[in-house]
Amino acid sequence: MIEFRDVYMVYEKNWYALQGINLRIEKGEFVYVVGPSGAGKSTLLRLIYMDLFPTAGEVVVAGYSSSRIKPKEIPYLRRKIGVIFQDFKLLKDKNVYENVAFALEVIGTPRRKIKEKVLKVLAEVGISHKRHAFPYQLSGGEQQKVAIARALVRDPFILLADEPTGNIDPEGTREILELLKNINTSGTAVIMATHELSLIERFPRRLIRLEQGRIVEDTGVRS
Amino acid sequence: MFVLREALRGMWRNRVMAFIAFGVIFFSLFLLGLFLVATFNLFGVIRYAQEKVEITAFLEDDLPREKIEEIKKRIEGMEGVERAIFVSKEEALKEFKRDIPKAKELLQALKTNPLPSSFKIKIGEGYKNPEAMKRIAKKISVIDGVEEVKYGEEWIRRLDKVVKFLFLFDVLLGVVISIASIFVVSNTIRLTVIARKESIEIMKLVGATERMIEAPFLLEGMIEGGAGGLFTAFILYLLWRFLSVRILEFYFPTDAILFGLTLFGIILGYMGSMVSVKKYLKGGEA
Ligand SMILES: Nc1ncnc2c1ncn2[C@@H]1O[C@H](COP(=O)(O)OP(=O)(O)O)[C@@H](O)[C@H]1O
Ligand SMILES: [Mg+2]
Repeated sequence: MIEFRDVYMVYEKNWYALQGINLRIEKGEFVYVVGPSGAGKSTLLRLIYMDLFPTAGEVVVAGYSSSRIKPKEIPYLRRKIGVIFQDFKLLKDKNVYENVAFALEVIGTPRRKIKEKVLKVLAEVGISHKRHAFPYQLSGGEQQKVAIARALVRDPFILLADEPTGNIDPEGTREILELLKNINTSGTAVIMATHELSLIERFPRRLIRLEQGRIVEDTGVRS
Repeated sequence: MFVLREALRGMWRNRVMAFIAFGVIFFSLFLLGLFLVATFNLFGVIRYAQEKVEITAFLEDDLPREKIEEIKKRIEGMEGVERAIFVSKEEALKEFKRDIPKAKELLQALKTNPLPSSFKIKIGEGYKNPEAMKRIAKKISVIDGVEEVKYGEEWIRRLDKVVKFLFLFDVLLGVVISIASIFVVSNTIRLTVIARKESIEIMKLVGATERMIEAPFLLEGMIEGGAGGLFTAFILYLLWRFLSVRILEFYFPTDAILFGLTLFGIILGYMGSMVSVKKYLKGGEA
């Protein structure tokens, strides 16, 4: 489903953000990508949703190859991939409902369908009661739930989470992690980048460790 | 529907920027509008002057009727001649008296009419230039019975030069104003695009196509441009009303200004948005 074939990534001369990455991630897996800051975790995720293209090697996602995908096809790949970030990336001038609906509006989903889907996903992540609130009225954990709802509302086959709990208190962190677990249980693959190893102990899963752009450990599928 | 809502919302949210864009478009179009009005009036004057372009062929005295008819036929048969109008001695005198009333008494003192009869020769559209006129005048002058041919050579030469120069200048100015407008407007709109980069980033992230991302901006640009154009037309109209009552009267092409500027404003807004959004999407990260 996702495959890295001898991938190298260079942003600036003489510095490999990633080097010699070979990797397969199957449908429905739960994978942690860990490593110190600057190890290349975000770069790895960006290659998956084709925000970046490898300097050398090939990344294949859901049948789309990084070396052959056309610019016009990228939006269609992205519709199948959910992404969440440490800083949530919600629109400040839209309330919770509108933020989630936005992801469907921009891909031309009919209005009736939007309402149905948004209400359903808001219930799933447990934020329905705040659907009229604006981002600044929410805690970090709640904002991340909204971001997750926005990612899930398009029924992606995979959810990419780049340090999703970096800005969230311990209580919120537990809730988010629980949520990601449930999402995975219902069949969506999850790849979560983090440098907080304590999270992993509570819910051990496949772990890929990066250091200076190289994979130094891959535990393989574990459940 | 979504696009319209997003466009209006975007404008409301960034209303200061939207207002600046509107203002810039207004200013550009105002210049363009003044230019258009000036051009219309200029060409009105030129056309009026060109209407007056004619050749006068003075005839010998006491030509028989048949001879005059024959001369008329020959002149009208020439290439570039539209019409030859006969002016008799009496008519010439009347005209002269009308044009120069002070000469009345002087003429009355004379027993005979000193003015010759003549043909006023109207020239066709493509022939109102010094070379063609000279050619025609020469051919007329050799006709038997024609005494002298006049056509204000110097004056026509000058008019021709002025027209060519003004036309070139006018076109150049129009092009410069248009390009400057597009440039200024697209730069202003780029600021409104940058102000919404978060929204663009998220649209890209969730898989909106480029067309979908651009659409609200293009619509926004068109609304701002159209509003700017309408407003400019309105202000120019008021200015015209004010000036033509108090200072000088001039021609104001109301429809051309209204539709032209509104349409041009819309195009300007569209192009400005297009340029800046494309640039941003190409250069921007995420
Ligand atoms: N846009 C960029 N331009 C230049 N260098 C970058 C860019 N993004 C990341 N890098 C570099 O690539 C390396 C990996 O970065 P990143 O993938 O963000 O690491 P992580 O997410 O593990 O902290 C770092 O050395 C970082 O400085
Ligand atoms: Mg990172």
